[in-house]
Amino acid sequence: MDYFLQQTLNALSIGGEYALLALGLAIVFSVMGLVNFAHGELITLGGYAMYFTLLFAGPPVALLIPVCILGAMLAAVAFDKVAFRPVRNAPPTTGLLTAFGVSIIIQNILVIFVATRARPVPTPDWMRGNFMVGELSIPVLQVLEFAVTCLALAGLLLLLNRTVVGLAMRAAAKDFVAVRMVGIKANRVIMTAFAVSGVLAGIAAVFIISRRGAVDPFMGFIPLLKAFVACVLGGFGSLLGALVGGIVLGCVEVFLQVVLPPDIAGYRDAFVFLLVGLVLVLKPEGLVGKRAELGDKEE
Amino acid sequence: MSLITQTAARTILPAIVLAGAAALVMLLGQPFHERVAYVFFTNLIIVLGLQVFMGNSNVANLGHIAFAGIAGYAVAILYTPVALKAALIPGAPFGLDNVALGLVPAILVALAITLLVALLSGLALSRLTGVAATIGTMALLVIVHVVLVNWVELTRGPRAFYGVPVIFTLPWAVGAAVIAVYIAKLFRESQDGIQLRATGDNLLAAKAMGVDVERVRLKAWILGAFLCGTGGILFTLFNGTIAPNSFYFSQTFLTIAMLILGGMRSVSGAITGSIVVAVGFEVFRSLENGPVILGIDLPEAFGLTGFFLGAVIVLSLTFRPMGLMGNDEWEDVWPALRARLAGRREGRP
Repeated sequence: MDYFLQQTLNALSIGGEYALLALGLAIVFSVMGLVNFAHGELITLGGYAMYFTLLFAGPPVALLIPVCILGAMLAAVAFDKVAFRPVRNAPPTTGLLTAFGVSIIIQNILVIFVATRARPVPTPDWMRGNFMVGELSIPVLQVLEFAVTCLALAGLLLLLNRTVVGLAMRAAAKDFVAVRMVGIKANRVIMTAFAVSGVLAGIAAVFIISRRGAVDPFMGFIPLLKAFVACVLGGFGSLLGALVGGIVLGCVEVFLQVVLPPDIAGYRDAFVFLLVGLVLVLKPEGLVGKRAELGDKEE
Repeated sequence: MSLITQTAARTILPAIVLAGAAALVMLLGQPFHERVAYVFFTNLIIVLGLQVFMGNSNVANLGHIAFAGIAGYAVAILYTPVALKAALIPGAPFGLDNVALGLVPAILVALAITLLVALLSGLALSRLTGVAATIGTMALLVIVHVVLVNWVELTRGPRAFYGVPVIFTLPWAVGAAVIAVYIAKLFRESQDGIQLRATGDNLLAAKAMGVDVERVRLKAWILGAFLCGTGGILFTLFNGTIAPNSFYFSQTFLTIAMLILGGMRSVSGAITGSIVVAVGFEVFRSLENGPVILGIDLPEAFGLTGFFLGAVIVLSLTFRPMGLMGNDEWEDVWPALRARLAGRREGRP
């Protein structure tokens, strides 16, 4: 029973992390149709923001957490301004490949100017310990991760439902032209979408880095793949789908880890991506999505 | 003139350019240059395979390198001598450590395996469009990579598979590349190719005109996989050593950058982009090692080649989204230019 509880907690915390990343991808995609392949680099840049702040300023370790989130947010906004604006009205494939290029550029800039080797980044002590509930020893990090995911979601819901720009973002997902016709600036909506995706990625980055204890130029890649999977499972572009997809992916991964015999456990990611292929072909609208009538937008 | 002879005529110019470049390298270059040139031709074949599907269907494909990997590993496992395999992969599945095929059967079996995987994956992927298709192709790449890394008894896992006999030399690669150019051009101008290009331009209109989208996509997918597999085999039987990372994202970046810069809509675009990116890549590779230029000792800067590829992708999509060649083949450039000049002289826009 203990074992079961611990694995459930494990699945929820991992799933929460994937959901944060997937939500960021989904927000940007729903607003402007861009598949942000450079989303993983937001994690990396958040991590390097921590590393450099520590190197040059040496603040208390707890202060690094807002630095990471802020760094990821600024990076996301900068990506939009510098790289994605010129291809905003291009076909989706162009945007996807541009983002792919941005991701390679960021990775290699870090390789050139910092190093390929991992650099250590400390985490606050209070995030690392365990606490006891009865007989169970529970890692603080996992509980914190799940709790923060829930908080971030609540904040996101508030933003989407209670603010003008949130309403505009939801409307833009359906019809951007109509949003602009009522006098809302497209740039502001898109910038907010990127900023939100950056904040979510920054929060996820704090947890990813506290698990790894170090940053390296290619660390964003695996989380990005997971976020993609989560988005596909839930239906690409759907926010609810991204959330559900993230949690489902966390559960599936932990389940496979527990169930698969050790000699084929290495194939876990192959199974996960096979699942992705199956969902894409058999239920392209995702596990929770409904088939939308797209009219002449249908591809 | 039938399409077959017409395409042959249209292949003469690229054949001369490619063979001429190779001849120059063989006459003037050092063995190191010949090596670079050989790898260029294998990459060119892979880029042509990518063009056949991605360029005509306008569906971004990130999975083509998977086929180079499958074919490369298949030929390595089938063709490496038994004595060496006893040390490399003792007790391999299906008794493969006790069998070694001849060169031609090994290549044919490797291509057959590749085509089988292409058929199975293509049946699923040809039903997808846009972003979903791209993620599907990426899933294929990841799956193949995970299998190559984890099937240690067959592939040695993440460690390099070495000792594959070195068979091919530069002329072979040139010959294969010219044939690949011919195949890609033939497909582009064939009925299937024209229909596929129509689906890439406007899917709904093409469907309304009665194009069987899934069928033409599947054909292009399999043909592209065949070319990519050929590239993988040529690479393996020249390099002698392969590892799962030879066929993963860095190779994907390189070939995608080549195709995007040249312009994916024409075969000439694939060739042009391959040449320009390959030259640039070598320049940046030499800069990476911190050479001394004009008496200035430059620092080592690893990552420059990757930076170059990323910059090529972003800049060409931003400033020239159709690539250097756009819709044109090399032989179309001059007539198009002349028509435009004539139009200007007569005062037409």
